[in-house]
Amino acid sequence: MKGAQAILEFLVQQGVDKVFGYPGGAIMPLYDALLDSPVQHYLCRHEQGAAFAAIGYARSTNQVGVCIATSGPGATNLLTSLADAKLDSVPLVMITGQVARAAMGSDAFQEVDVLGLSLSICKHSMQVLEPQDLVPCLQKAFQIAREGRPGPVLVDIPKDILTGLVPASPEACKDYSIPEHSDQDLQVANQLISSSERPVLYIGGGVGMANAVAELRDLIQRTGLPQVCTLKGLGSAESEHPLYLGMLGMHGLAAANLSVQQCDLLIAVGARLDDRVTGKLDEFAPHAKLIHIDIDPAEIHKRRRADVSLLGDLKRILPMLGKEQVKQPWQQWVSDLKASKAFPYAEDNSPGQIDAPQLLRQLSDMSADDAIVSCDVGQHQMWVAQHMRFSQPTCHLSSGGLGTMGFGLPAAIGAQVANPGTQVIAVCGDGSFMMNVQELGTLRRYQMPVKILILDNQRLGMVKQWQELFHEERYSETDLSDNPEFSRLAAAFDIASDVIHCRSQVADALARMLAHQGPYLLHVQLDHKDNVWPIVPPNTANHQMWEQPK
Amino acid sequence: MNYQLDMLLSDQPAVLERVLQTTRYRGFKVDSMQMQPASKQMRVSMQVSGQQPISLLTSQLHKLYDLASLECQAQLARNSELQSA
Repeated sequence: MKGAQAILEFLVQQGVDKVFGYPGGAIMPLYDALLDSPVQHYLCRHEQGAAFAAIGYARSTNQVGVCIATSGPGATNLLTSLADAKLDSVPLVMITGQVARAAMGSDAFQEVDVLGLSLSICKHSMQVLEPQDLVPCLQKAFQIAREGRPGPVLVDIPKDILTGLVPASPEACKDYSIPEHSDQDLQVANQLISSSERPVLYIGGGVGMANAVAELRDLIQRTGLPQVCTLKGLGSAESEHPLYLGMLGMHGLAAANLSVQQCDLLIAVGARLDDRVTGKLDEFAPHAKLIHIDIDPAEIHKRRRADVSLLGDLKRILPMLGKEQVKQPWQQWVSDLKASKAFPYAEDNSPGQIDAPQLLRQLSDMSADDAIVSCDVGQHQMWVAQHMRFSQPTCHLSSGGLGTMGFGLPAAIGAQVANPGTQVIAVCGDGSFMMNVQELGTLRRYQMPVKILILDNQRLGMVKQWQELFHEERYSETDLSDNPEFSRLAAAFDIASDVIHCRSQVADALARMLAHQGPYLLHVQLDHKDNVWPIVPPNTANHQMWEQPK
Repeated sequence: MNYQLDMLLSDQPAVLERVLQTTRYRGFKVDSMQMQPASKQMRVSMQVSGQQPISLLTSQLHKLYDLASLECQAQLARNSELQSA
């Protein structure tokens, strides 16, 4: 069997029936073999788009996403997505073509050292140098992508290995040994929870990735712990729970940040105390002891010393944690704080500028419970995180660690491929949307019913907000008032669209968008003066956040 | 602080790059390095220095799939200076 066929046969064995990619010279034998394979390939319009689609596929299913690109520029175009998947722990296998072995190292056409480029931005990477190593490398790649803390793996394959004969039977891989906590640490953790007066559960993306949402909700049910979520943790806890406080951190909700700052015990579950979460680290949760629960030993004590750490699979650990109800006075304090700091959502159909938080809340109320929402990066991303509610972490796709503009549209495409019957909405900023706008071509090609909502303030809104607040209103290169007319852009791809600018248009426009059968673009014109509140200024403790000026 | 790191690594392409890149990125400087083939593996000893807690580096080195074993010992800075003098 030729190498190209062996790859596709291996993918079928792994249960992979959908991949994303873009063809080119060195990877051409694999594209030739695709014609005779049951694996369905989705052609995106840029390798970065293909890789983000694979990320959307992976994040909306918790399965390994696969993308394919050619050597040289094809491979370098993948790198941003590779780093994105690394920082957000997304299980991904990237297959890149490489020039034939005889030409390697000669600066051949479209030759680049992608193995060298990949080293610091992936979980692991390999270059196949012998035919017999091809299938074992792929097997190892899938295992590494999935095991422990998930992550992306790159496999670089020279063209002559794709065209030459390779043995097909994979070698057995070594089993992965999950790190284990001690019984004593578990006891200490439970004692800390019992003796604490003011505990808070701090939920990260690890919960969803460990398929431990049910176990987390059960823990919350039996203990009544107040809960805060990271950007990636959103959807893990039930948003209707009376002591669910929403996202914490730089643009976290006031009640979430103030509760953490007041707590005497912080229970971090699948979270890494990222700088966007903690604000000024030495003033983060200053009265709290820390229980840190994670599968990755490298996260323990990395940013803050844990009083006790529990390493291992969250799905197994959470049921052993917390046996009794949290003390009532603390629950009452948190509940009162939540009520006093709640956003004043009010349906207002009068003429006037559209309020993005209100619109997103309406969208959240009107969309399906299992709707998948992807977003780009910037102000709109924070508004989505603050104001939309998610039934599962797989319903919220947002570039957290790397913060990559242009993530939203291709990630939505990947999520729609993985979940063909589910409502998928890409909430984009006008700046971010233009970064992978070519993926409108992918939507058109496959007629996927993705809904695109562009929140357009004709600015690079988040950078503008920082220029306004922290750079003496010196607006450098953030004016995008020469944006294209987005509805005409949609029309060029045969995508239906609408434009709104006034509050009174919102409800009907959202209803029309959600009811539309095919792809749809809703262009929402906003006032560029609107900012995201609260905000924790740089090098400031989270309790010193600035709230919306009255 | 100065540390001695003794590693057993799979003899894979880019393995030294991975170790060196991780060391630099996590805030340590390589003061000296020796390597020796050992069957399909290689034994690498490195003396590194840096201000960060060494666990920041060792916990990341442990994540490298080509690392079979790692031992780390703190060294007195003065000894190291004498050795390099």
